[in-house]
Amino acid sequence: MEQLLQQSTSLSTVMMFAAGAVVLLLIVLGFVTYAIYFERKVIGWMQLRVGPNRVGPLGLLQTVADVAKLLLKEDTRPKHADKALFALAPVLAYAPAFAVLAVIPFTDTLHFADLGVGILYYIALSGITVLGVITAGWASNNKYSLIGGLRSAAQMISYEVPLVMSVVGIILMTGSLNLKEIVYAQQDVWNIVPQFLGFIVFIIAAQAELNRTPFDLPEAESELVAGYHVEYSGFRFAMFMLAEYVYMFGMGALVTILFLGGWLPIHPALDFIPPVVWFILKFSLYVFFQFWLRATMPRLRADQLMSFAWKGLLPLALVNIMLTAIFISYQSGMM
Amino acid sequence: MLGFAKGLGYTLKKLSEKKVTHSYPDVPYPMPPRFRGIQHFSPEKCIVCNQCARICPTQCIQLTGKPHPDPEKKGKIIDTYDINFEICILCDLCTEVCPTEAIVMTNNFELAAYSRDELYKDLKWLDDNNTNVREEN
Repeated sequence: MEQLLQQSTSLSTVMMFAAGAVVLLLIVLGFVTYAIYFERKVIGWMQLRVGPNRVGPLGLLQTVADVAKLLLKEDTRPKHADKALFALAPVLAYAPAFAVLAVIPFTDTLHFADLGVGILYYIALSGITVLGVITAGWASNNKYSLIGGLRSAAQMISYEVPLVMSVVGIILMTGSLNLKEIVYAQQDVWNIVPQFLGFIVFIIAAQAELNRTPFDLPEAESELVAGYHVEYSGFRFAMFMLAEYVYMFGMGALVTILFLGGWLPIHPALDFIPPVVWFILKFSLYVFFQFWLRATMPRLRADQLMSFAWKGLLPLALVNIMLTAIFISYQSGMM
Repeated sequence: MLGFAKGLGYTLKKLSEKKVTHSYPDVPYPMPPRFRGIQHFSPEKCIVCNQCARICPTQCIQLTGKPHPDPEKKGKIIDTYDINFEICILCDLCTEVCPTEAIVMTNNFELAAYSRDELYKDLKWLDDNNTNVREEN
């Protein structure tokens, strides 16, 4: 991929890019299908149930059936909804979720763009999804979806601040925004050890960014019916769900790269296991953690949500930056 | 924070525990011994006393008798016997009142059908419904 990016643009290189994107899309779709399956299975097991087991062997085709049903459904639109925005919102929500994956290095060689400002790109693009969510909430012309959309926007914007701040510590340590460089800097010890505080803040803020338990207030079905996608059905609703799970993919990959040493093995002696397996292993661990958390945690109260971000997480993230800066300047003999 | 870890530990422990759900349609669910299920009717025991039809609170039992084919013997034998499971409430009164235990309860309970007509069960069907017959009637 790297040589392709260096070459001058021609029809064949453009075709290659498109083919690469399609392959990644298929992989992501496969991930989403089975992430949903395992989410339901794991939560089922934790609640002493069996989980889906009727469609296909062991219920493996359950999600396929669900998606097929969604795609075959009539595409309904409220009469007084804003036609153009209503159609645009799912696209706005999904497109950045997928575009974000362009900078993720899965292994040393297996990656797409190798941007110098990889993290910045990721965070900047993921901010666009908020726009999709609030557009959906407003365009539906429904009070529940508007409240859901506003809640979601407020939550995602305020949690993005501690999310970015918690990564600053790593950037200070590495001296680079490039995701590959960050992984290379973790040869000796993974960032989770020196940046443990940052890791905690990042995990919590990521949870809020993903709109997942315990921060799934935008979709609080008990108060808001279903949040910003009340009025969506069929294919458009599938797009929102897809965006949510693709973000989980992206965030899982980001956590793996930033804190868990990317494709690096636990110990250099375990080098014989291919790096992509290490990546998938760490990534799956994060995804499992998501499901585990969902089976455990109740939802946060709306009034606790904001103060937790601004009074709790943000100071912690700032302290983390200060500590890292002091440590680094001490190490380089400036103090 | 400690409560957090405690909760996560609890759910993780539950992950591998035995499931409490039944695989009901795949594995039949054993009903308690005094369960009131669909009746089993044995025509050879019936003396056509009509008590079951009379006591039935929903009048769902319809029966007719005919003279005994052996002219030496007195009394009647059963000719037709229908229970309408649209309205039968499985109250157990018919089986309690039956002097010869011709009608008894079973532990079967699956009656779902695509048509209402299928819920009229006749003598033959009730006779063949002879599995899981309740022990005490």
